[in-house]
Amino acid sequence: MSFSVNRRRSLWWGVSLAVILSGLAAMAFSWASLGSPLRLGLDFIGGTRLQLELACSATGTCSQPIDIDAVRQILNEQGLGNSSLQVVDQYGLSIRTTPLNVDRRTRLTDALTQRIGNFDPQKTQIETVGPTLGEEILRSGLLALLVSFVGITVYLTLRFQFDYACFALVALVHDVLVTTGVFAILGLVAGVEIDSLFIVALLTIIGFSVNDTVVIYDRVRETLKLNPDLDIKEVVDQAVVQTLGRSINTTLTTLLPLMTIFIFGGDTLRYFALALIIGFTTGAYSSIFIASTLLAWWRDRQPPRPAANTLETTPTP
Amino acid sequence: MGKYRGWLIVILVLLMAATWVILRTPARLGLDLRGGAQLTLQVQATDKVPQITPQVLAAVQGVVQRRIDGLGVAEAVVQTAGEDKLLVQLPGVTDPQQAERILKGTAQLLFAAQKPGTEAQLQIERQLQSQLLLEQAQLLAEQAKNADNPEALKEIEAKLAKNRESLEKSQQAIASLFEPSDLTGAMLREAFASPIAPGSPNWSVIVRFDSQGAELFAQLTKEIAGTGRSLGIFLDNRLISAPTVSVEYAQTGIVGGSAEISGGFNAQSANDLAIQLQGGALPVPLEVVENRTVGASLGQDSIRDSLYAGLAGLGLVLIFMVAYYRLPGLIADIALILYAIFTYAAFLLFGVTLTLPGIAGFILSIGMAVDANVLIFERTREELRAGKTLYRAVESGFDRAFASILDSNVTTLIACAALFALGTGFVRGFAVTLAIGIGISMFTALTCSRTFLFYAISIPSLRKPNWFCPKLESVR
Repeated sequence: MSFSVNRRRSLWWGVSLAVILSGLAAMAFSWASLGSPLRLGLDFIGGTRLQLELACSATGTCSQPIDIDAVRQILNEQGLGNSSLQVVDQYGLSIRTTPLNVDRRTRLTDALTQRIGNFDPQKTQIETVGPTLGEEILRSGLLALLVSFVGITVYLTLRFQFDYACFALVALVHDVLVTTGVFAILGLVAGVEIDSLFIVALLTIIGFSVNDTVVIYDRVRETLKLNPDLDIKEVVDQAVVQTLGRSINTTLTTLLPLMTIFIFGGDTLRYFALALIIGFTTGAYSSIFIASTLLAWWRDRQPPRPAANTLETTPTP
Repeated sequence: MGKYRGWLIVILVLLMAATWVILRTPARLGLDLRGGAQLTLQVQATDKVPQITPQVLAAVQGVVQRRIDGLGVAEAVVQTAGEDKLLVQLPGVTDPQQAERILKGTAQLLFAAQKPGTEAQLQIERQLQSQLLLEQAQLLAEQAKNADNPEALKEIEAKLAKNRESLEKSQQAIASLFEPSDLTGAMLREAFASPIAPGSPNWSVIVRFDSQGAELFAQLTKEIAGTGRSLGIFLDNRLISAPTVSVEYAQTGIVGGSAEISGGFNAQSANDLAIQLQGGALPVPLEVVENRTVGASLGQDSIRDSLYAGLAGLGLVLIFMVAYYRLPGLIADIALILYAIFTYAAFLLFGVTLTLPGIAGFILSIGMAVDANVLIFERTREELRAGKTLYRAVESGFDRAFASILDSNVTTLIACAALFALGTGFVRGFAVTLAIGIGISMFTALTCSRTFLFYAISIPSLRKPNWFCPKLESVR
């Protein structure tokens, strides 16, 4: 066997630990500065986002780009001074405020129309989420995450054994932690916010990433059935190598469409695709290097079953 | 190879059926793709109505539905969502401020006595109103039909606006014929529909008032009993019913706080009125807790973007499979195209509303769908390397990979189920599209590619192990 995952397991564990710890550090830092481990978007904390585009931009007759200071002044006049404001492609406007009810919102858009220009209603986007609803979305999202963790553990316990299920779960938690960690860092350095789609992405990541683990465990189980006396480390090494082509190819075929969504899919889906790309890549890594080595390490520590012949095992260097 | 010919026919029939469905059924696009406003309303509990029961929610839904109908938006939808929320979808509306305003308030149910000498006028006005309502329904149907004809749409919308104006005037005219009383919906204890006699096709609506309401109701009915003038029941300033009171109550009015409105109701219309009355009796305010509005051309941009992403993604996966797996890869590609066609047809067939995240789920599932084939082909290669014949290798590739395929799909389905059970709105859409995709991929990756592959190796000139596993040293 030319390749053994178990031989260098401390390296794999170390890499994972380092990534997770830096993610956790980012979350802690973000907690201290933003009040939450990740930069929460509109969906979770509530607010209003208005996206407007000048009507003249479609015909190319705009005389001058939007003056951001004029917009800022309107916001100040309406007591919305601490809103975030962005001019998009010269003629577009993106404003993010606290939740505005219909009257305040209309007052704002009326003032903008009067002093900035007419906006194209076909290119307008309005999003308002009340703060209580945001909390509800967050809570149900986290609950969905928890429920699927439990569901997957129960299913794997039934199909395999409890210790398999536990280590598969560890790999899943690993993937979730790495993905959220990366987004915590992105939130700090690039202002990336997470929305409902991020929770969807996490759930999809666990659904998908457990596949890789299952395929490897499946092979471990099959080999153990054929050769019950083989050393568990060897069995796991073999299983990993035998399924390596599949793990890489499946991840690749899934990453290809995600890349195209990331490139072509528009703003809404960009970070969704990015979360999945990170999660799926991590999922393949954790299945190959973490779930497998943990299982071998655990089974190796168990006292040998009385029925099994204890053969000479090669010590790990 | 008769067994495979049978399956081939089945697949061919399915393909034709799917193509037929795709050509015949228009896609149901979510508001984020076709443009429009989606509002979530939360029903607020009050001292009088401390808990939002399903009955309360249904009654409020009736009120909201009525108010939305008044807006004249084609294909507007009002649904309940969760325990205390209503979802209002207004396709094509780019500034929902009018809708938000009319939806916010508490419903106003008022009882009023008709003014003397206005009988003939009321009849004319009511006739006019029903004509206007009929016209509105026709215009809305036309609007839906001409959705892709902007010129005709403009004309219809102008007509609709005029119609709305006339309706408003007519409502005001009707209201001016009545003298409002102090009796309001707050004093209405219950309203329900019931057949006049058990099993009778004629129905009536029973109303019950509290003690204060009973007194006012007696006064009101005494005033108009036997005169031929009617008791006007107004919901949000719109006349919803105008019963007359017969002469026998002229002395005392209808006492006891309970009355029966009858005459020309069937089960459906009696129920409708009862729900309206209940809704009007509910002093529950509504709050717009979520508003997601997308302009139509932004939606078109999203459709175009996701079409590019989908086609590019599919193309890359197809190329990869054929480059890496050779002949089996080509067969997996055919299965994958079938997968895309079948899944899209299933979306249309089940009436799945396509949203942006839903489309992302679909594109993603294209990449995942080949997973089963990858597993099988890797296994086949292994068996070939272990020295098995081509036929045996392919066979055990399918057999041995099955457990892994099943396990991995079930775990993804568990995540889907959690998303569906606990998510709302578009999150559910994503879960449904992903779950349908997984189900269909099991069929295409197992049955379809198995059939094609065995059919292929039944043709001697295709039976070359090198086409299955490159660099295989010995050819048997």
